[in-house]
Amino acid sequence: MSNIAFQRLQREFKEVITNAEIAQTGIRLDTSDDTLTKLKGEIKGPPDSPYEGGTFKLDIIIPDNYPFHPPKVSFETKIWHPNISSQTGTICLDILKDQWAASLTLRTVLLSVQSLLAAPEPSDPQDAVVAKQCLTHPQMFTETARLWAQVCADAPGERNSQLYKKLTQLMDMGVGKESALSALSCNSWDVSKATEHLFS
Amino acid sequence: MASHESQMPSQENSDQDDSDVDDDNFDYYGEDQFEVAMYENRDDRPAGTSYRNADADPIDPEYFEYSCLQICDVERLLNECVEALCHAIPVTPALAKVLLHNHKWDVASLIRRYKLNCHLLLVETHIKPPKPVAPSSTGQRFTSCPVCVRSNLAYSELRGLACGDQFCRSCWVMHCASQLAQGASTAIECMEAKCSLLCPEDFVLKLLGDRPDLRAKYQHFVFQDHVKSHPELRFCPGADCPTVIRSKSLQAKRAVCKTCSTSFCFRCGIDYHAPTACATIKRWMIKCADDSETANYISAHTKDCPNCHACIEKNGGCNHMQCAKCKHHFCWMCFGDWKTHGSEYYECSRYKENPTVAQEAVHVKARRALEKYLHYYERFENHSKSLKLEEELRGKIKQKIDDKVNNHQGTWIDWQYLHDAATLLTKCRYTLQYTYPYAYYMEPGPRKELFEYQQAQLEKEIEELSWKVERAETTDRGDLENQMNVAEKKRLTLLQDFFDK
Repeated sequence: MSNIAFQRLQREFKEVITNAEIAQTGIRLDTSDDTLTKLKGEIKGPPDSPYEGGTFKLDIIIPDNYPFHPPKVSFETKIWHPNISSQTGTICLDILKDQWAASLTLRTVLLSVQSLLAAPEPSDPQDAVVAKQCLTHPQMFTETARLWAQVCADAPGERNSQLYKKLTQLMDMGVGKESALSALSCNSWDVSKATEHLFS
Repeated sequence: MASHESQMPSQENSDQDDSDVDDDNFDYYGEDQFEVAMYENRDDRPAGTSYRNADADPIDPEYFEYSCLQICDVERLLNECVEALCHAIPVTPALAKVLLHNHKWDVASLIRRYKLNCHLLLVETHIKPPKPVAPSSTGQRFTSCPVCVRSNLAYSELRGLACGDQFCRSCWVMHCASQLAQGASTAIECMEAKCSLLCPEDFVLKLLGDRPDLRAKYQHFVFQDHVKSHPELRFCPGADCPTVIRSKSLQAKRAVCKTCSTSFCFRCGIDYHAPTACATIKRWMIKCADDSETANYISAHTKDCPNCHACIEKNGGCNHMQCAKCKHHFCWMCFGDWKTHGSEYYECSRYKENPTVAQEAVHVKARRALEKYLHYYERFENHSKSLKLEEELRGKIKQKIDDKVNNHQGTWIDWQYLHDAATLLTKCRYTLQYTYPYAYYMEPGPRKELFEYQQAQLEKEIEELSWKVERAETTDRGDLENQMNVAEKKRLTLLQDFFDK
């Protein structure tokens, strides 16, 4: 890692940890090793969105030529969102690609990801299945995204009993929590289709 | 003569004799119109081979005016534009380049737009920020660089564009280096987020002053970007060829590079493809790359499921099939549902005169689509192979002529007609090859019928010509030259009717 990158990251850490305003927005940054190349981020689901109150963990990989190249950021916590892959957690966000600028920081990146949660853009999707649902069945999309946040990201609130029943039904068959969620969500909550999808 | 210049040549020429057209060509247009136009083989054109007249004939559907430039010629051409713009409006040469690069090198329109609203033009071209910048004070504000977060920097260490955002010199250098590594040159922007001001050439070159490697790379990339943004210029697609082709009109015509002899379509840069249009040939090439290898296997070894039409390869002996996709049970022989099959299984062994086609309708449709594609693809491929073989034949003919000349059996001029015949054969077959993608994408109707009629005529004459060229020594020269004329006429007729430039 170059000298500039190291200096920058040290300063950015200080900024994120000390700033009170940042603590309020629910953003955290942690190191997972001493070299500062692999970092962990955390954001709170924004209010008035299906992700409200959830805690989402992010993987951050710092490239050698940071800050001249953007950091690689992906979701570690499973999330149902048109611009984030429900399978891999890959994020489709312009500032992480061609709109990156050296003056942007990890703080601005995490804030942008947070605002992406509040304002999904199904017309420019990363996950086509989610985007299609978001456009054609917005009600079902909101319910699905909320349940994912409750199950995977500890979001508070009462769970949708109808959907949760179907989920437990699959989990009773011995299917893992996350694959059951994924199979049901991708098959419009049709239990028999989801079962076929899982076992064929 | 000058009064004729603006008229359509086709009107006039139709009354004229072929030989007249050739002789009058220069006067007819006025010499100054051609500038540096290149005439294919004009200088070495042998007397007595009338079919070649078409090459320089303006009514030839393949006629194309262009010139081959070397790097220094292109630089001169671009610099002339920059100078013209700098004379007309008060901008530095570096900014003039940014303006020209982003506006298709149209000096006249830039001058007009500048005079109309210079602020708008400079903002739209990302030279000036949309909102005026507060005048910078020499106070504390500029002593740290937001990128490397070093503080207490000397004011002289900072650099910035018209937007007023300032960064330290070493960060700028690393920014340029990382942008260059990604192939950006004219598109290098300010490092500030949401600021899209472009770094002009002088700004970058000054930063890279002590990095000659990066400077050279930057200048190389800038040159490439400038040529690509210029509507009249095209890089020769030949491997490692530095030549640039220039033509005033952007047409799907054949250009031949003087340096490396690569022949290509000026509009799209791939192999010349008349009469097929650029967009069509692109679709065809993608289809071929995707389908041809597998299409043959599919048609030979697979059938489609009668229920969901998934493609199924039979890998066992049993004829009771279950589709892996839709779980439908069916008989491999008659495509009937297995449930109703029961005792009638052995019906399948009996040949039926009138099989019920209705239930197979979709399956048959899919197969027919594949068959249609294979029909055109096989012919396209076959002519491509023939072209390669005839290329060898041309080499042999050349060798034979050399032998004859060395053995004092006539001179090169006596035998050149053989070589010309082989060359013409290649040219005709090339066009014929590219009529197949054209036909594949044509809607059925009278126009397609006419096209296929002309195509068949051309193919017949080409095969006749090929036969005669292969047996050139026993064929009468007059007979051969007659055949050459007929084939070329058919080729030109087809192009005239169907080649949309």
